[in-house]
Amino acid sequence: MRNKNFQRLGRLLGTTRILTIASLMVVQSLSAQSIWEDGDVDNGQALFNANCASCHLVTADVLAAPGLAGIADRWGSSDELLVQWIQNPQGAAATGDGYIRSLVERYVGTYGWMSAQAVSADDVRDIMAYVQNPPDVDVASTSDNGCINIDELPEEKTEDSSTLWFVILLVMFLLIAMSASGVNRGLTNAIREREGESQLEDLGYLARLRGWAWNNMVFVSVLGLFLVAFGVVKGYQGLMGVGVYEGYLPEQPVKFIHSVHVCENEVDCKYCHHSAYESKHAGIPSTNVCMNCHKAVKKGSRYGEVEIGKIYAAIGFDPETGTYFDGEGNNGHYGPQDSFNGEPIKWNKVHNLPDHVYFSHQQHVVVGGLQCQNCHGDVETWSAGRIASVDHINTLVDKYPGLIELSKPTLTMGWCIECHNKASIDLASSAYYEEMHDRMKDDVRGNEELRRILEDEKITVKEMGGWECSKCHY
Amino acid sequence: MANNKRYWTGLDDLHQTEAFQNLQGQEFPQHQAMDEALGDESLTSATTGRRDFLKFMGFSLAAATLAACETPVVKSIPYTNKPEEVTPGVANYYASTYYNGQDYVNVMVKTREGRPIFIKSNTSTGVGHANVRVNASVMGLYDSARLQGPHLEGSGSSWDKVDAKLAQAMAQDGRKVVLTNTVLSPSLQRSIDTFCQVHGAEHLQLDAVSHSAIREAAEEHVGSKGFPAFDFASASTVVTVGADFLGTWADAAYYASEWIKGRQPESRDMSKLHAFETVMSMTGSNADTRTMVRPSDHGKVLVALHGAIAGTGETGGLEGPLLVAVQNAAKDLKAAGPRGLVVAGVNDLDAQRVAAAINTALGADGTTVKYNGEGLLAGDDKAFAQLVADMNKGDVAALILHGTNPAYHAAQKDAFRTGLAKVPFSLSTAGLADESAARCTAMAPDHHWLESWMDLRIGGTRIDLGQPTIQPLFDTRAAGESFMAWAGQAVSGYDLVRLTHNPRYTSAGMYNDSEWNSALHDGFYMTGGDMPDSAVALGLDIAPSIARLKSIKGGGMELALYQKQTMGSGDQAGNPMLQETPDPISKVTWDNYVTMARTDMESMGLNTYIAQRDKASVVKVTVDGEPIELPAFMQPGQTPGTIGIALGYGRGDGGENIGKAAYATDEDGGHLQTGEGKPMPIGANVFGWATMQDGTPRYDVHDVTVEVTDKEYPLAATQIQNTVMDRGSVVKETDYTSYLSEADKAKGRASWNKNHTLAVHEDVNGDGIIDAQDSKKTSAFDLWKSHPVEGIGHRWGMTIDLTTCTGCSACVTACHIENNVPVVGKDEVRRHRDMHWMRIDRYYASDWSQERGAEEGVGVIASYTKMEDPSANPQTVHMPMMCQHCNHAPCETVCPVAATTHSNEGLNQMTYNRCIGTRYCANNCPYKVRRFNWFNYQGYAKFQNINPSQDSLTRLVLNPDVTVRARGVIEKCSMCVQRIQEGKLNAKKAGAPIVDGTVATACAEACPTHAITFGDLNDDQSKVRTNANNNRSYHALEEVGVQPNIFYMTKVRNTESNES
Repeated sequence: MRNKNFQRLGRLLGTTRILTIASLMVVQSLSAQSIWEDGDVDNGQALFNANCASCHLVTADVLAAPGLAGIADRWGSSDELLVQWIQNPQGAAATGDGYIRSLVERYVGTYGWMSAQAVSADDVRDIMAYVQNPPDVDVASTSDNGCINIDELPEEKTEDSSTLWFVILLVMFLLIAMSASGVNRGLTNAIREREGESQLEDLGYLARLRGWAWNNMVFVSVLGLFLVAFGVVKGYQGLMGVGVYEGYLPEQPVKFIHSVHVCENEVDCKYCHHSAYESKHAGIPSTNVCMNCHKAVKKGSRYGEVEIGKIYAAIGFDPETGTYFDGEGNNGHYGPQDSFNGEPIKWNKVHNLPDHVYFSHQQHVVVGGLQCQNCHGDVETWSAGRIASVDHINTLVDKYPGLIELSKPTLTMGWCIECHNKASIDLASSAYYEEMHDRMKDDVRGNEELRRILEDEKITVKEMGGWECSKCHY
Repeated sequence: MANNKRYWTGLDDLHQTEAFQNLQGQEFPQHQAMDEALGDESLTSATTGRRDFLKFMGFSLAAATLAACETPVVKSIPYTNKPEEVTPGVANYYASTYYNGQDYVNVMVKTREGRPIFIKSNTSTGVGHANVRVNASVMGLYDSARLQGPHLEGSGSSWDKVDAKLAQAMAQDGRKVVLTNTVLSPSLQRSIDTFCQVHGAEHLQLDAVSHSAIREAAEEHVGSKGFPAFDFASASTVVTVGADFLGTWADAAYYASEWIKGRQPESRDMSKLHAFETVMSMTGSNADTRTMVRPSDHGKVLVALHGAIAGTGETGGLEGPLLVAVQNAAKDLKAAGPRGLVVAGVNDLDAQRVAAAINTALGADGTTVKYNGEGLLAGDDKAFAQLVADMNKGDVAALILHGTNPAYHAAQKDAFRTGLAKVPFSLSTAGLADESAARCTAMAPDHHWLESWMDLRIGGTRIDLGQPTIQPLFDTRAAGESFMAWAGQAVSGYDLVRLTHNPRYTSAGMYNDSEWNSALHDGFYMTGGDMPDSAVALGLDIAPSIARLKSIKGGGMELALYQKQTMGSGDQAGNPMLQETPDPISKVTWDNYVTMARTDMESMGLNTYIAQRDKASVVKVTVDGEPIELPAFMQPGQTPGTIGIALGYGRGDGGENIGKAAYATDEDGGHLQTGEGKPMPIGANVFGWATMQDGTPRYDVHDVTVEVTDKEYPLAATQIQNTVMDRGSVVKETDYTSYLSEADKAKGRASWNKNHTLAVHEDVNGDGIIDAQDSKKTSAFDLWKSHPVEGIGHRWGMTIDLTTCTGCSACVTACHIENNVPVVGKDEVRRHRDMHWMRIDRYYASDWSQERGAEEGVGVIASYTKMEDPSANPQTVHMPMMCQHCNHAPCETVCPVAATTHSNEGLNQMTYNRCIGTRYCANNCPYKVRRFNWFNYQGYAKFQNINPSQDSLTRLVLNPDVTVRARGVIEKCSMCVQRIQEGKLNAKKAGAPIVDGTVATACAEACPTHAITFGDLNDDQSKVRTNANNNRSYHALEEVGVQPNIFYMTKVRNTESNES
């Protein structure tokens, strides 16, 4: 509280001064109105979540940087420097302020410099209002948020064993049939011997089978027909399944669980797969992205330190001391070192498109506005990445309004063009489409074309060229 | 009765020979290999029996088949630490500057995931325009022949050892020389100066192809040394005497982009170009008037020009048509006055003095010629000659080479080589172990230019910057850094550049200097201060020069040494893209040859026709008793009585490791071998034949002997036909007067670009008679249902202006690199299996026509045969040709599997994964632009030495956005659909219509003269629409009626009428 009193004193002094020196408005007004008071808590919460929450907690716990509980009492420097410290940490440090220097010495080595935040002094006041009076955080709420508990996650099956059982049964059946036939022959011979008839010819199994088939022609024909039909159907299905990888769930070098990250901890898909919005690749996050959280979160809920340890091994991080290695094996202080020769994590690619297909995530996510789930299913309830089946995705329509129901297997060309034929484009959504629309309206043939397109009262991706070969193949 | 008939097993049996009797006693004859093999006891004890072997075989086969069904697991490896500016899948562009000693261009380097993959001009803030050599230079970065670290005495070493060895050598007495190409970098200059100061060394400069006479003339003329700055853009009449300023002479990459600014017919102020030259060059082929001159007459042409302009009446001893041509040029020059410009290519001081005097007489000094001390091409040939002499005397203690390869390109290369062996310590910073470096004591490889920090100053107040676009691939060290380290003042290459421009720079301010950052973004900054004024002419006494030039006597046969647009001085000989790019004039790839006039070849009985099976005759050319054998090539426009041989070939005569593609390959793809078992260079090195004139090499020889040999040699040309043979609808051309008289007529009305009509069997004109007058426009006929592309959505199209196209081939190489077009090598090109998606057709004018045939009583067929022959000095047209993206495409109708279809944006799409390779489409294409992918270029041994994708390093240059096509499909120009898609996506993301000019194909972007314009034809405001509506635009082969989306624009030649 002593600090606060000093601040109030300072504020009083400031108020006095502001009456006399009106020209120094900017800095002085800040002193005049304390940064610790009169902030808007709701706005502060929004700002905090947008700018700070990826590293700081409002509690005393450490996420990727020190927790902010009690900051008002801790802060040992001026309000202006607090604002500057947030807006430009290096700049604040350059002022040579003693308290700031102590912060730098204590924290920067461990957590690195905070990145500069584009917030105004008023924003900081709002954030501080929120930090000082955070609404009660319901820690236990994770249990009923609809996430699959990690213990409930299905174990990843490595191989389908039914084929093996089928083969074993078949072999056993054959053995029984052959021995039964041997017993049958022995018995027949015994009867013949007793009745004085000659012994049965000692035929091989094949010859006997042929004889049996000859005697049961109708049954054998029906069975044969059935087998051929069965073969044709199975063969057709097998061929149609070439290149279909629904359910493909390769084992990964790190047992990453989407459910824990996305569902329980509410990390947005694009926090890690951000390039889906910028590039054709959704991308697998680089290890330094993992470190944004795992610098602080050193123990996982299912695999403990084992799996997270693999990240540390790749990037060169010592969880004991919380520091990175540099190339010489020493502990460095300046964040991930380029020179560390860790083995990168070699993930197994799940969604493999053939080389001759050009697919762009940003086209679909940014322009088309598709949800990730439309193609990938509810990855957030799953463990590692897998290819969701189209049937499964169709069951998610209620959970994710706006999903487009499709019928062809995922990641096949039929599936792509089916969607391009169903998905519609809102011409008013962008000036680009409006321009295209205007061109059609202004042209005689364009008008005809437009009428044809609008027969079903919507403009599909196909009608805008979504079925053109060189949309995807070049 | 017993049958006593006897059957013999053979004649031996009948005659009962001795051998037969011997064998008869043995049921199993001995001495048979099989017997021995079967009798091998060890086989019976083998554990693997025959049956087991078959079982294993069967099992392996089944296993292999099953395993092949399984999709291989694909690894995905993200960055460990992702660089902030890299997003996988998104290209980054960096402004940089290319400089190799002569070509100097501001460029943008496209990188993907940190790999530079494409180089284009920096059109927003840059000066000049990248040419074919600059475009292709990205390949050099990934050359697996690059030195991977420092070398000492022929084996790999470390920087410490090389530095120590150098320090030791520098302590010795004797001349210590740093020999470089023209250094334009202030930082590199500073580091060399520091080095020289510390060690008492001297710095000499040497250019690969010397231009020193023009600098010396300028020094005499205005008193200050420096290369004159020519303003081709504002010149209204340009006369070139042997200077290929559009291709390879001096700062050609800049001149070409400037000259074309004055060549727009629509401006009604089109400049005129007279060319006097020996070998048909790119400049000559684009000249309005071209005159053939023997090398010995170049000086006399200049003298006569001076005489006509200064009014002295001096004709230089010329007479006849040549004098008339000179006088015509002089007339135009006089009319242009200060807007006239004369450039001379011959590296002869007297000739350059006369050329400078002509410009002064025109009043062009200060307007089209400015003497403000450009740093370009500052080589000092006399000092180099002295150095070679001293080296041979043993006076040179140490020699350091940077950016220069005198053992290859010096006129005294042999003397240099013997001298170099006598220098106790020599070092080269070359990135490849080239002819000079391989002979040096040490090799301290410099970074590739794409890996280095650079600052460059060509003149004025502008400093161009170069930045690394990739971490150094190998253990190399920037040359500037090396010189500083050797001077004992180690500094990083980056700090060196920063400190040169701001001595107070410290690494703390590395990222915060916004001025520097924006300079780096733009690729240049201005130093401030005023542009140095054009120096005032002091006046030259050219009388002695005139006397000497007049006295030059030509021999029976004269030789001109020239540079090819693709190879330049030969520094990129190992670049397969450049080797495969056809020469803009001869269309020959992968080779060096002797260009000869038809009349000379016929009188010597040489083959004038080169084709797949028609090989070139080999001739023996002898200069000063030194013979070289090369194939002879019939070059229309070659001055009779002269031959031409290109410089830049014959690289690696000692089998040096300068890149696999630098050596000749045989039909199986292996390197041809010389007698000594070394790989055989391509062509011959003729730098040594340059005549020394006043201490500088002049690239011609006034007396050579050419002898016929009985050898033949295959040449691979992409185009073997020379003329259009009277087909009026391929190339349309007119002269400037005719153009001006009808310039305002509507499209299709002007006499030089009339709509094509076809005769019909109905009375169209209503005169009651059905005759040849009854015709309709081509557009009235159609076999196809129309595609909805006009006015609807986008309609991508292109216009190609034949007036401004110079044939430079920058587009061909850019297309090659952008679209991963396979390099196929000489043998395949010879079989016409070249894969170029776009080519530049070069057509010569013919003297013959059907009208002349009728006049002279020659039959129609015979006339066509005569039309195949070009004129002796033909007018030339360059016509870029690629898929025309016909709206009514004949290829689409014949594809049995619908692999080629039309898009609703006007693109003729090619879907490789559908193509089954019937090649019906290629046969049905009127433009012959579809190429069939005959081989697995990525794996087949035939392409091991030439195809970039066969080298694990070089394949990094491939564009990840374009499929590498598999064998057996047709491929062709896609109008860079990957760029179109990217442009559309960017527009959609921005929620705004596509801005004209933001989507450009690789060829349009690469065109230094902006002859190729790409855009959306449905955008009424677009440049391409404006061009397509221009009355010069037409469709090639309009009568076929395929309605292409590519328009050509009638060539306008700035002549009075077609006859002149």
